[in-house]
Amino acid sequence: MIRLENVTKSYSTEIVAVRDASFDVAKGEFVFLVGPSGSGKSTLLRMLNRQDRPERGAVWVAGRNIVDMPPSRVPHLRRNIGNIFQDYKLLLEKNVFENVAFAQEVIGRPTHVIKQQVPAVLELVGLAGKEDRLPHQLSGGEQQRVSVARAFVNRPLIMLADEPTGNLDPATGEGIMRLLDRINKTGTTVVMATHDQRIVNTMRKRVIQLDRGVIVRDQARGVYE
Amino acid sequence: MLSRLRYILRETLDSFRRNATLTLASIITAAISLLGVGLTLLSQHAFDNLLARWEGGVEMIVFMNPTATGDQLTLVNDALTTSDQFIESFEYCDEICSLEEADRIFAGEPGVRDLLTEDTILTQFKAVPTEGTDVDLLRQVSDQFAELPGVYDVSFAEDQISLISQLQSFFGFRLLLLSVFLLLAAILLIWNTIRTAIFARRREIEVMKLVGATDWFIRIPFMLEGLLHGIIGGVLASAGLWAWNSQWTSGVESFPDNSGFSALVVVDGYDQTVMLIMLVIGALAGAIGSGIAASRFLDI
Ligand SMILES: Nc1ncnc2c1ncn2[C@@H]1O[C@H](COP(=O)(O)OP(=O)(O)OP(=O)(O)O)[C@@H](O)[C@H]1O
Ligand SMILES: [Mg+2]
Repeated sequence: MIRLENVTKSYSTEIVAVRDASFDVAKGEFVFLVGPSGSGKSTLLRMLNRQDRPERGAVWVAGRNIVDMPPSRVPHLRRNIGNIFQDYKLLLEKNVFENVAFAQEVIGRPTHVIKQQVPAVLELVGLAGKEDRLPHQLSGGEQQRVSVARAFVNRPLIMLADEPTGNLDPATGEGIMRLLDRINKTGTTVVMATHDQRIVNTMRKRVIQLDRGVIVRDQARGVYE
Repeated sequence: MLSRLRYILRETLDSFRRNATLTLASIITAAISLLGVGLTLLSQHAFDNLLARWEGGVEMIVFMNPTATGDQLTLVNDALTTSDQFIESFEYCDEICSLEEADRIFAGEPGVRDLLTEDTILTQFKAVPTEGTDVDLLRQVSDQFAELPGVYDVSFAEDQISLISQLQSFFGFRLLLLSVFLLLAAILLIWNTIRTAIFARRREIEVMKLVGATDWFIRIPFMLEGLLHGIIGGVLASAGLWAWNSQWTSGVESFPDNSGFSALVVVDGYDQTVMLIMLVIGALAGAIGSGIAASRFLDI
């Protein structure tokens, strides 16, 4: 599903965010990216949906090298990728339903599909009954669930999560992780960057560790260490 | 398709509301500048009416009595032909042609126009002088025409049009210059409005890009917004032009006859053409302003 071949990305001559990284992620896998702050986790995730482009190497996503993909194809690539962030990135003046529906509207899904799929995914993330709330009327955990729902509503092949539990207390974070695990079990590949030791250690999934842009460990059923 | 349309309209109208002050400023500026362009065109056309009979480089007109016979016409025709040293070409404007001209010249004085018929209208020989022929020379030559039977009078463009065309170009040029600068200001304002609108919605745009909305889908509401600024400006300018023109026309009708203003009105539907032109220019200005803003600022 995802393959990196000798990927290098630098922001300037001094800052090399990712250096000669290679790995494979199979369909349906769950991968943690760990490493200290500034080690290149976010940069790596951004290269997977073409928010960033490496200057060397190839990034294969769903069978295509996306490094040289023409810009006109990028939207179609992104429709297969869901994104979750530490700060949720919800639209503050839209309610829960509208926030999720937005992801379908802007790619031209017909209204009857939206009316059917949005409630279903809100049910899945445990927000049924809170459709009309605005983001500021929700707890952090609930807001993150909205963002998971928005990322998942178009049934992406891949889910990219950048520290999705970073702003949540441990119990709430675990709730989000159970949700991601369920989504993963539907066949969606999940790549998640995190600092959260407890979560990595309890989930026992594959762990790729970065240090100053270099992959220093790639371990199946790994721990944070 | 339908949901897309609804989305685009909703976003566009939303943006209008959120950005009301700037939107209003854009529209007003666009309307005033377009009105300026429209008034320039309209007044030029009105001046053209006044000069209608001198179109095409005509410098001298030999007016013939309505009662002039065929022989008398032939005589003048021959005299003009043999003056080919001074007269490059000439054309005979018969009753029908002269009546059509009168439609324009007496547009503001329908009473006067109604008095003219095929039996009362003066027909005209219109002469274009050869290059380098001085009008004074032409005047001397014309003496021989003036005395021919059936000739009513000989007039020269110089006497009639120099003042008018000076006025025309003085006003036309300055009004147009002013309007063009205002139009530029309108484009800049539309550009700025759209840029502000894009900035106000950068979160939405970021999310749209992440979930795979195409650039065009993101861009269209903004471009439509700018286009609407221009078109609404054009509509307002059209209303202004219409009010202006009908007040002017009825004003001219109440002027004393032969005050010289009678031709300075536009009643032949040209005002509608001008409105169309204003709408098109308005739409173009909106499209340019918002197009540049949308292509430059959507990379956020
Ligand atoms: N837009 C940018 N311009 C310049 N340098 C950048 C940019 N984004 C990231 N960097 C640098 O690249 C390196 C990797 O950053 P990145 O955000 O990928 O780290 P990270 O592992 O996600 O860190 P954190 O755990 O704090 O989120 C850092 O040295 C960072 O300063
Ligand atoms: Mg990061």
